Amino acid sequence: MTLQWGYKRAFVRCALLFVAGTALQIAFGDLDNGFLRYPWGLIIALNYLYLLVLIHFQKDRWKWLSQLADHYACTSSLASMVLMTIIFGLTRQDPSTEGLVGLLGFSRMTSSWAFNIMLLYFTTTTGLAVMEDLQHIRKRRVAAVLSHLAVFVLLVAAIFGSGDKLRVTVTLQEGTPTHWGVSRAGEKVDLPFVLTLEDFAMDEYAPKLYVLDAITERSSREFLSVEEVGAEATIEGWQLKAVEYLDMAGHMLDSDEYRAMEHVGAAPAVYVKARNVMTGSTVEGWVSCGSFVFEPSYLFLDNRLAVAMPRREAKHYLSRMNIVDEDGDKRSVEIEVNHPARVGAWRIYQMGYDTERGRWSEVSVVECVRDGWYSAIHIALWTMLAAGVVMFLTAGGRKRKEVKR
Amino acid sequence: MTWEQLIWYAAVAILFWVAGAVMAFRGSRKWTAAVASLAGSAVFLTFIIGMWIALERPPMRTMGETRLWYSFFLSLAGVAVYVRWQYKWILSFSTLMSVVFICVNLLKPEIHSKSLMPALQSVWFVPHVIVYMFAYAMMGAVTIFALYLWLKKYDATDEELSACDNLVRIGWAFLTLGMIMGALWAKQAWGDFWTWDPKETWAAATWLSYLLYLHIRGHVKDQNTLFALLIFSFLLLQMCWYGINYLPSAQGASIHVY
Repeated sequence: MTLQWGYKRAFVRCALLFVAGTALQIAFGDLDNGFLRYPWGLIIALNYLYLLVLIHFQKDRWKWLSQLADHYACTSSLASMVLMTIIFGLTRQDPSTEGLVGLLGFSRMTSSWAFNIMLLYFTTTTGLAVMEDLQHIRKRRVAAVLSHLAVFVLLVAAIFGSGDKLRVTVTLQEGTPTHWGVSRAGEKVDLPFVLTLEDFAMDEYAPKLYVLDAITERSSREFLSVEEVGAEATIEGWQLKAVEYLDMAGHMLDSDEYRAMEHVGAAPAVYVKARNVMTGSTVEGWVSCGSFVFEPSYLFLDNRLAVAMPRREAKHYLSRMNIVDEDGDKRSVEIEVNHPARVGAWRIYQMGYDTERGRWSEVSVVECVRDGWYSAIHIALWTMLAAGVVMFLTAGGRKRKEVKR
Repeated sequence: MTWEQLIWYAAVAILFWVAGAVMAFRGSRKWTAAVASLAGSAVFLTFIIGMWIALERPPMRTMGETRLWYSFFLSLAGVAVYVRWQYKWILSFSTLMSVVFICVNLLKPEIHSKSLMPALQSVWFVPHVIVYMFAYAMMGAVTIFALYLWLKKYDATDEELSACDNLVRIGWAFLTLGMIMGALWAKQAWGDFWTWDPKETWAAATWLSYLLYLHIRGHVKDQNTLFALLIFSFLLLQMCWYGINYLPSAQGASIHVY
């Protein structure tokens, strides 16, 4: 078997798999992973692993089996994955089935037959490399063994566990116990626990003042961040100074004058003095982003420009809630972005809130996620991290050996 | 520290880097050139740390801020390669590339806001970005090296190819670390390890392409194929880094917009 012939044949095999995938796509439409739900995903995965072990131990007897595990199969499947991923990246992902990319399934790549067949083939060659590594572990490099193994576990979990993941969006009202939510498919899902939102709290960044152009309807790139009274900036030829700042303010219906107001619906307000750098003319007045109670207030500088405050950006937001699980155990948790809570096989993530009411929101939107393959993926990811570290530490050392030889 | 002060810190850093590059080129003592270059990197790092303190958050949120780290790590990668293998031209190239990215930052100044959206407030934010920028810098260095070897009149020696491999191994190890940290972070923030966001898709393509290089390196005799693959992989990396900001298929589809 010559080198060129091996590569050529291996790539023809990849092309045939791609053509087969495309034919299946045209004949049957998208690949539905619904059949991979527990326990079927696990059963099929175990059978697949058994099949790989069989192939590994029988490959010396059958030439076509050994050709699944040789260098040509590995590199051609890897090169095919590079190509498929590039097509993936170049194609806009949306549910449309129109046009050539829609027909071939590229616009829904993760559900396309061609992509999944190529991925399964790549997983197979990786899995066989893992068997080979494990059988001859003493002759192998640690980084390669660890990365083959981790990539293989990740791919198996990603493929066969894809039908197992359940994501349920739950909208919580303060004080109202809730035990159900809506899945991504729009179906109502009962949860094995009850959630009650006790409080929703939010921290916001300092208000920012921009200069708006009424004619071009554009906002200035520069802004004045009002972190303290006295903050100054020159924007669009106007020197702006924050003379007074009220974090929670409101005004009477018949007045433009803001005053401190500790009440639901209060809005931040800044008293701004503006001086035109060229002409020296001055304007002053209140600027506020408003809230669900108050309209926003602008300070008009001339007949074209005005100072405006967009809604403040969220710094942190968190939900304090209590969870009653299936056994009737009750506990209190705080969740925020990057800090989910865990209940059995479920994790609860802070997703959103009533953006219209902002810091005054009495609603918190959380997402409950059940991922049966979480541990396997987590272990594989940490193994891969270890592989990366080992590879970095040993990268320089290899050269010396080669030079000595 | 403000963005306006970049030009002064950059000027001093570039002076040191150029001095290091000239010393290396003239065949001065190894450590003299390395120390001069490192002094430049230290000045540049001072600016980055100053920005970090002034912004009260890591300067890693905007494209311009990532370019600062890239210039910094590229200068370090240059010194590392120089100390390890003494290629006298490497410091000139790493300086040139660092300067190009500094110039982009000077010509396209950014307005920096202190705000950091809640999703970015994670223990993974700093290591994820730093590790990726270091990987990008290593891959930048190996691309320059590959171009140099490709354009040379004679075939690359085993030692030169081996240096290429080692740079790719280090870069790929860091790409892996960045990707895995991103996956662990994504799970904590959104409940998914991987969502095929355009940035992730191109990161996967880049990672797979360099992995392909590592797999064919010992089997393919034609050096041109190897160098072409390295340069192609670096193009994928550019697409992942900032190309998706302009790519029609990624518009409005990525959460990694900055």
